[in-house]
Amino acid sequence: MSASTTEGQTFAVVRELIAKDHAIAPETLTPDTPLQSLDIDSLSLIELIFNLEDRFDVVADKVPENLPTLGSVADYIDSLVAARTAAAGDAAPSA
Amino acid sequence: MAARRVAVTGLGVVSPLGNDEASFFEALQAGRSGVRRLEVAFSERLSNRIGASVDFDGAAHFPPPKLRMLDRVSQFALFAAQQAVSSAGPGLFDNERERAGVFLGTGMGGAQTTDDGYRALYADGASRLPPFSVLMAMNHAGAAWIGLEYGLQGPNLTYSTACSSSAVAIGEAWRRIRCGEMDVMLAGGSEAPLNFGTLKAWEALKTLAAEDSNDPAASCKPFALDRSGMVLGEGAAVLVLEEWEHAQRRGARIRGELIGYGLSTDASHMTHPTVEGQARAMALALESAGINASAIDYINAHGTGTAANDVTETRAIRDVFAAHADRLPVSSTKSMHGHLLGAAGALEMLATLLALERETLPPTINLRVADPACDLDYISEGARDALGAAVAMSNAFAFGGTNAVLVCRSAKCSL
Repeated sequence: MSASTTEGQTFAVVRELIAKDHAIAPETLTPDTPLQSLDIDSLSLIELIFNLEDRFDVVADKVPENLPTLGSVADYIDSLVAARTAAAGDAAPSA
Repeated sequence: MAARRVAVTGLGVVSPLGNDEASFFEALQAGRSGVRRLEVAFSERLSNRIGASVDFDGAAHFPPPKLRMLDRVSQFALFAAQQAVSSAGPGLFDNERERAGVFLGTGMGGAQTTDDGYRALYADGASRLPPFSVLMAMNHAGAAWIGLEYGLQGPNLTYSTACSSSAVAIGEAWRRIRCGEMDVMLAGGSEAPLNFGTLKAWEALKTLAAEDSNDPAASCKPFALDRSGMVLGEGAAVLVLEEWEHAQRRGARIRGELIGYGLSTDASHMTHPTVEGQARAMALALESAGINASAIDYINAHGTGTAANDVTETRAIRDVFAAHADRLPVSSTKSMHGHLLGAAGALEMLATLLALERETLPPTINLRVADPACDLDYISEGARDALGAAVAMSNAFAFGGTNAVLVCRSAKCSL
């Protein structure tokens, strides 16, 4: 998977959700923006992941503890999408 | 250590009669009803469609990130607490937040969240629930949010004894200050039960009032011959209780003094009250206040409008007050604001404090012909002037049999 194509799309969704839920101007959010600077605590992060799961049709077993920036959240969702795609690919031949 | 005195220095209210103390008491004084036909999801499937709902827009009070984590019951609790703390004036907590706590009462907790969740799971086939469901539905969420908001590090407890929950919360908070453990307590209750699932559960108990065919707003008729039951309401009330000298030192405006609290349990029947249990709670409240029955100038009755409560409470009042009962004005403000269940005791304590402060007793509305078994002076003609009224009682009785009675004194008489 090419990170450069999906990273942009995923980050755009992260930015859109945070802008809406936390009433923050979207243009101020970049992949380097620390979650802490937005007052996104562990509970808000759970909600963000929950909404991203819905949007990308993935399931996070547990919210990882090392997601310091918005970019790292997008990367994490990308890794879940990649894992799901790989699993579907594995299953395809036997179907 | 001598028992310390407990001042009431702040009041906050969210009610079917208005969301500030002034409009709440104005409506009580005018005999205005907050009971109406309910417009909630599936309300066309309700047999008892009336209730006393609150006009409240959470978005006007809380920023979006916080609002998403607050059930309606916690929104009410927090907004009532904010009013109470703000009305208590500066210097309330100082640097003594370990000696300040929160005691709230609720019967149904985050019932809206629970109802929404079940609907999503069972009816809509959802595979999962929103991430904050537990934090929104848990019974002590309101108290926890208040504690967080003000950084209060003393005890934070939620009492759940159905319709006496918040009277218990206030009484227990009073004890903590009185005995010297705490200096400031935010105490009260919150309830938001007007959702389809909870209303259906209450319908099944067959204690809800039928809708008055001429005027839905007149459906709650405590002590009346034609009463048909209780009307559910929603809302919250929070009091700031403060050790007397603590309040005086910071120059606080003292709104009244809480002087007595009586607690008893019927231990007889899950829903049917007993004269003995209610009378004992009233007698204990008088005893803890150190006053005679004849000192009471007004009772804000539990007065639900059910067949069982109104007769039992009338008899219990006669038992405790003997001849004084014939000179004692008693009213049920539930006729106007409905039955707030776990928030009822707090809302009615607030009404009682305001009645003394303004020397005006709120009426029992919708009482044209009294049940012959209900033979007290229920202030049915409209609000009554009560110049010099000094001491009043507020009753709260409950399913499960927990009876809680509070006694307060006017600030004018306490100084």
